Amino acid sequence: MDFALTEDQTGLKAAARTYLEDTYGLDRIAALADDGEQDLAAWPELVRQGWLDTDLGLAEFVLLAEEGGRALHPVPWFATAGLALPVYRAAGVVPPGPATLADGGDTCRAVRRDDGWRLDGAVQTVLHADVATELLVAARTPAGVALFGVDPAAASLSARDGVDPLRATSDVALAGAEGRLLIGPPGAASLLSALRDRATTLLAGEAIGVADRALAIAVEHAKARTQFDRPIGSFQAVSQQLADGYAEVELARSLAYRAAAGEARSAEAVACAAHAASRAAITVCETAIQVCGGMGVTWEFPLHRWFRRALWLEAELASSRPLAAIAHSLFGEHS
Amino acid sequence: MRLDDSEEQAAFRAGLETWLAEQLPDATPSAPRAWSADELRAWSKALHAAGYAGLTWPAEHGGRGLSPAYQAIYAEESALAEAPDHAGVIGLGMVGPAIVHYGTDAQKATHLPRILSGETIFCQGFSEPDAGSDLASARTRARRVDGGYVVDGEKVWSSYAHLADHCLLLARTDPDAAKHRGLTCFLLDMRAPGVEVRPLRQLSGDTDFNQILLSGVEIPEDRVLGEPGQGWRVALTTLAHERGTFGITLTARLAVQLDRLVKTAKVCGGDTDPRVRAEIAELHVELQGLRFTGYRALAAMERTGEPGPESSILKLRWSRANQRVSALALRLLGAGAAADGTDAFWGGYWQHQRLRSRANSIEGGTSEILRGIVAERVLGLPKSR
Repeated sequence: MDFALTEDQTGLKAAARTYLEDTYGLDRIAALADDGEQDLAAWPELVRQGWLDTDLGLAEFVLLAEEGGRALHPVPWFATAGLALPVYRAAGVVPPGPATLADGGDTCRAVRRDDGWRLDGAVQTVLHADVATELLVAARTPAGVALFGVDPAAASLSARDGVDPLRATSDVALAGAEGRLLIGPPGAASLLSALRDRATTLLAGEAIGVADRALAIAVEHAKARTQFDRPIGSFQAVSQQLADGYAEVELARSLAYRAAAGEARSAEAVACAAHAASRAAITVCETAIQVCGGMGVTWEFPLHRWFRRALWLEAELASSRPLAAIAHSLFGEHS
Repeated sequence: MRLDDSEEQAAFRAGLETWLAEQLPDATPSAPRAWSADELRAWSKALHAAGYAGLTWPAEHGGRGLSPAYQAIYAEESALAEAPDHAGVIGLGMVGPAIVHYGTDAQKATHLPRILSGETIFCQGFSEPDAGSDLASARTRARRVDGGYVVDGEKVWSSYAHLADHCLLLARTDPDAAKHRGLTCFLLDMRAPGVEVRPLRQLSGDTDFNQILLSGVEIPEDRVLGEPGQGWRVALTTLAHERGTFGITLTARLAVQLDRLVKTAKVCGGDTDPRVRAEIAELHVELQGLRFTGYRALAAMERTGEPGPESSILKLRWSRANQRVSALALRLLGAGAAADGTDAFWGGYWQHQRLRSRANSIEGGTSEILRGIVAERVLGLPKSR
């Protein structure tokens, strides 16, 4: 066993961090977040750098997600790489640009008309639908669920307010919109299920990045801020909270890497990563705000941006009910 | 990033599993058996004969020269099989490597083969009543006399001292030097006149640890390990070895405990209570986090020779998790938790664990000291006082 990043992986992570730090300073993130905007101009550069390369494995994607969480990377990379890319890959199609998934398996219907497919129904809170060049819609067909590509212009979008302004969502309504069939039944159902595990693993990686950055901001503050003629980081009441935050991040990081590294995807490994990472993001952000004191609770101080992402991640990751899944694997028969 | 053993590691693990299964009686669902001193010595001999002692020791000193991963596999499988520690665990894991590093040829020839074979059991004489976490403030005094030293003082929290033949003793040889510089390490013969061992009874009723009282103990000068005045450095080397695969052992033992908790929940009907299920699931997450963090630390050690910074959190979080496991077990027993001994579930196993685990966040480095190490050495925060 050799459970450590390879040299290539370390290099990839370092390169991603350098790029993100150079591109997205605190002011830039604040401006984009306040306007609720994604940095779409950066998309071609991202593709050029290989952030969607076909030779990247899940472990590499998790490392990129981690760095993305650290930087609050303001592009629709997760929606594209985490949700849409596996569908394009399975269909043997190159993604046309930023894309997203509208999981309408229960609420959308697709029927064959003339020479194509027409889709009807609605999907709520679709991530980054407003900036996607294509919506991938899961919809029921008479033979089972299938996945279609839909032009966003053919759908009706209504934006929703969200806790994280960099993670905008929209409700999508389809009324006879034309869809191009990408994956038909029965393959679409198993692809969707694998896709959910993959998305959960990437979000766990992102949550670690969020926690790690919040910790770093708080550590810097604790070194620089003096009270009673000493840096506050020299007070045990402060330093021990930060040490606990570090422990929280590292345990969660091990679990996210484990979920990404396993050859056979294990539901238990994904659930462990989901629970630990979302808890790390929340508790470390809260600790960081506490350590930064009065500054920490102002709008101008950057921490609330990461705290908002942590809240968004907690909600997303909780939807897979990780603890219930783990208890099921431990106790067997009961549910 | 690889989760599975290499081919050689898998073969080693399989052989070890088979051997352990042959040697050990079936693990019971309840309390593990107690091992007498004679049984422990016999176990150590068997380990040596089977080639499982000194896995990472250099071959020239009788070891097998394997990488730490093999020691980790041994630690994991042996804990899962509920095997006892090698009685010479301190000699094998800590004192031996320190002798390899700092010992004279004569010291190596005297001690290393006997540590490996289990003939010599070592204990460690570092902690003192007034110097718990502040190890460097040790006051046990070694006075220079003709041909050696005379030692007076008191050591405490010494595991295996009641069985030990020798002790790696830290004593102050230069009271005028700075705290860390006036210390020297000795290879003390526990049968020397003036050495007295008294078992320490803990709140659990156990006597895992001992006091060592030293009065006018003569130590010949060829028993100094390393240079006089270099005792602090020797002690640090010894403790660094302690941290090596220790986290992996702890995690594997926690896995056994969690398994017992799941069984207890099933027997008590707690397995259908959503709150109990969620709490046990959380403990499982904690266990897996510790397990894979241990593997990350191990991988760092294989590459750089030192465990990575993440290894510093293993003991910190293990102690909390282990305490939570036994606390939840007692809550599952309800009013029955007030019983103990033969009147209690599993003969009072969980009552005992609940009491014993209270020491987990104190022994082997208190949680406060461990957090301080993370804050200063990993996060780079200023020293706190």
